[in-house]
Amino acid sequence: MTQLAQYLVGGLATGSLYALVALGVVLLYRSSRVLNFAHGDIATLGTFVAFTLLGRKLPFSLAVAGGLAAAALVGVLFFFFVLRPAKEASLLGKIVLTLGLALVLGGAVQVVWGTETLVFPFPLSDTRIYRVGQVVVSETSLGTIVTGIVLMTLLYVLVQGTKVGLAMRAVAQNADAAQALGIPARRIYALTWGLAGALGGAAGVLLAPVVFLDPFMMLDPFLKGFAAAVMGGMDSLPGAVLGGFLLGIAESVFAGYISFKFKTTMAFAVIILVLLVRPEGLLGRVYHRRV
Amino acid sequence: MRTLTRLIIAMTVVAALGTAAVGQPAERGVTPTEIVLGTSMPMSGPASPWGMGVGGGIDAWLRHINAQGGINGRTFRFLIRDDAYLPPRAVANVRELVERDGVFGIVSQIGTANCYANRDFMVESKTLWITPACGADMWAGMRERNRYVFITYPGYVDEGIFLTKYGVESLKAKKIAVFYQNDLYGQQGLLGVKRGVHAFQAKGAKLVAQVSYEVIDAEVTAQALKLKESGADTLIIYADPRRGALIVREIAKVGYQPTLMSTFTLMDPMMFMLAGEAWNNIYLATYMPMPGMGDARTDAALATITRINPALARLPFNAAAGVSFVEPFLEGIRRAGPALTKERLVEAMETIKNWDGEMIRGVSFTKDSRQGINRMFMVKSERGQYTKLSDWYTYPKKF
Amino acid sequence: MSSDLLERYQDDLYQVKGATGWLAVGTLLTGLFALPFLLPRVGLGYLLFIAILMAANVIVAVGLNMLVGFTGLISLGHAGFVAIGAYASGLLAARLGLPWYAAWVGAAAITAGFGFLVGLPALRLTGPYLAIATLGFGIAVYQVLVNWTALSGGRTGLPIQQLSLGIAGLTPTQQLYCVAVGAAVVLSWVGYNLARSHVGRAFAAIRDSDIAAEVTGVNLLWYKTLAFAISAAYAGVAGAIVAQALRHLEPQSFTFLESITYFAMVVIGGLGTVSGAIIGAVILTLLPHYLSGLKQWLPIFYGAAIILMMMVEPRGIYGRWMRIKMYFKAWPL
Repeated sequence: MTQLAQYLVGGLATGSLYALVALGVVLLYRSSRVLNFAHGDIATLGTFVAFTLLGRKLPFSLAVAGGLAAAALVGVLFFFFVLRPAKEASLLGKIVLTLGLALVLGGAVQVVWGTETLVFPFPLSDTRIYRVGQVVVSETSLGTIVTGIVLMTLLYVLVQGTKVGLAMRAVAQNADAAQALGIPARRIYALTWGLAGALGGAAGVLLAPVVFLDPFMMLDPFLKGFAAAVMGGMDSLPGAVLGGFLLGIAESVFAGYISFKFKTTMAFAVIILVLLVRPEGLLGRVYHRRV
Repeated sequence: MRTLTRLIIAMTVVAALGTAAVGQPAERGVTPTEIVLGTSMPMSGPASPWGMGVGGGIDAWLRHINAQGGINGRTFRFLIRDDAYLPPRAVANVRELVERDGVFGIVSQIGTANCYANRDFMVESKTLWITPACGADMWAGMRERNRYVFITYPGYVDEGIFLTKYGVESLKAKKIAVFYQNDLYGQQGLLGVKRGVHAFQAKGAKLVAQVSYEVIDAEVTAQALKLKESGADTLIIYADPRRGALIVREIAKVGYQPTLMSTFTLMDPMMFMLAGEAWNNIYLATYMPMPGMGDARTDAALATITRINPALARLPFNAAAGVSFVEPFLEGIRRAGPALTKERLVEAMETIKNWDGEMIRGVSFTKDSRQGINRMFMVKSERGQYTKLSDWYTYPKKF
Repeated sequence: MSSDLLERYQDDLYQVKGATGWLAVGTLLTGLFALPFLLPRVGLGYLLFIAILMAANVIVAVGLNMLVGFTGLISLGHAGFVAIGAYASGLLAARLGLPWYAAWVGAAAITAGFGFLVGLPALRLTGPYLAIATLGFGIAVYQVLVNWTALSGGRTGLPIQQLSLGIAGLTPTQQLYCVAVGAAVVLSWVGYNLARSHVGRAFAAIRDSDIAAEVTGVNLLWYKTLAFAISAAYAGVAGAIVAQALRHLEPQSFTFLESITYFAMVVIGGLGTVSGAIIGAVILTLLPHYLSGLKQWLPIFYGAAIILMMMVEPRGIYGRWMRIKMYFKAWPL
């Protein structure tokens, strides 16, 4: 029983990361129907910028804020200088554009910061642990879960409770109608890209102390986050969160009880099963297509 | 269909343009003033630390040799191409290096898949191949066909046997667990440990757990728990630096403290930085003195290449490995003298007996053997340094 | 432009139009098959290997285009099909002792079978959901190949026996080139014709509106799974070629990144046309190879090239070519 609880706790921490990544993916998909394959690399760039700022002895919160700002900026610049001029591109074409961006960013990070593994200084220690009964939780895991939940709540408040969030939802539903009503769609898109980038950056900053910082650390979490977003429903932000946590827990439990080697396969198997039962994702809106 | 015609014509033109005609000297890759060498390594993508480090180390060392006037009046030109660890690109690169750029030899290569994919071409084209950094066991049984291949890289299986032997004999190990990367590197290490355990069964050695992780896995918490459950008193680690550091931190977190042993690939000074306190009192096997052991010649050589290429300071282990790969070859060129041909080089290499370079130690080749080194010794990590623990252990040569 | 003037209905049906058309096709084919003998004479023999890889990529791209471009179903796991084809061809030849051509046909059939299975979820899933399902398939294939060592040799890999055309005087590379390019030509020809057949029209109908297609009598179950099966079979043949080229298989070459590259080939070349797929495959095979001297700068230039190509011509390179042709056709308007 304690073993299961231990796996659950581990899964919650990973799930929190997947949920953050998934939120970024869903935000973008909702508004512009673009699957952003560069999400992981934008997040990595933000984390490296934070790392450099930390190296210059800035306080942790400022350095992280700088990293998130950098990630957001990259997203906005990409939108303005690449996506908008290429508005003729089909959806698949836009996906390939994000692939190009992923390659460029990955290469740039490697060229500027080198390829070796680095230690990311984090105020919460990975070795200080708390015991809840028999279950061991490290400070970093706890911090990841708490930060994740805080960020998700903030995002929820933004999207549901503010005028900007209302504008975002309007543009996501029908961009032309929103523009006709006076909502500056371009600015909202830019804001969405910036927000998605910042969320990714936050995920990266939370991931780096746990798995060490290198240019390719987000490859696997990005894939899983993407899959979690799909499982939860690509147009539902709560779905992304739910999908992220479920995926994290499922993976941890499988790895612990059944097999390490097929951990990822089984995670995807779960996702496919969910999709077969509910093709629009767990919390996705059922879309009745008209012919 | 017309589109295709024009496309193909354009392609051929581009291909022809992209290939400058290279004058072929009498001996491929050797002129009176220059020797051309090449390699294909992962310089981008997740395997790039290996390519950047090893390739960078070789390149810096060759530039150091050039700065001293070269060897027998010839300087070196070293061509590196990126293959992103993908076998098809590795093969394409190597073929182009041999046939278009006309290299005298290929120096090293990273990745078993790439080595295997290139092996037939290298053997058939009789190209010199210096220490492809793949499991040495792939050459066993190829005695008649590997005249031009020279390897100075240890075998993981032999190392696994050595680790187990040392653990059982000197560290009183009884219940052994293995944490390994699920690829050829880790699997060979595991095989070595299994053979060692089998050999020392009479002394009570038992393999109680073998826990793996996938190359793309980011976390190893579940594996740490599994290892703790096994109750082993000795843990042998066959991982890469990241996961090696993670596992020792994780098992410290869950309060599991076995005797820790590991392979030379984790003798990277980076481990102290990544794992901090947890990387103390680890027993490691190694085949040459590594940077950080206090060996004067090794440290001087590392300082030399770091001066030439400062980026190598962050990849000291890989860079040192790169130097150790190319050194015996340079010695062979020295011994072959001014009239350098492939055959004379092979004969010269075969005269190398128990030779020490600046990094590598104890290299021997014979007419029948292309396995240059077959010795290891144990070190222990203490307070950020590695200290030598045992004498040379020699294992049988396989090729 | 007199060759564009059609006089009979049959003229419109012909794939290759008129004498000039046949001349072009003839030149192309002679050129392609003369290359393996010409190139070594001028010291460019190493290009043959790249040509073999290109042929394999062309086959995958044409197959993938049938799925993504014609039928509108996304697949991000095609490297899995290539892997299955590669390993199947090797195993059939090694374990069952089949001659290489039988092994290749068998590999294509096995891969098509898997394609059919993967196509079944496609009946319920669309867009990113299908993309994730296929992605999961690709990852599953990779992990099975890594861990099922009895079947695949795991990380030690699977050695592949060399095929032989039985023609003396040709090096193995030349023989493989002939087989690979021959397969690419034949399969492209099949692709061109498929696009214009009733199957191709059914695929296009599904892409444009699958519910309407079903209403008008296109059996979705049959055609969607057929699309997957055909593109998988193409990928299987390409896998067999890759297996022969490398002579030693490891799961290394068949990861998610490869799937993404195939996808990019189809889109950059021009979605929905066979010529576009071929162009995309050629470009994305040559580009990383010629940039390999840039070492760690390669991804930056490669990614920038991809972005530029997509920005300059969102409809793909073939789309740009079509626009140029239209411009000259309509000249002097």
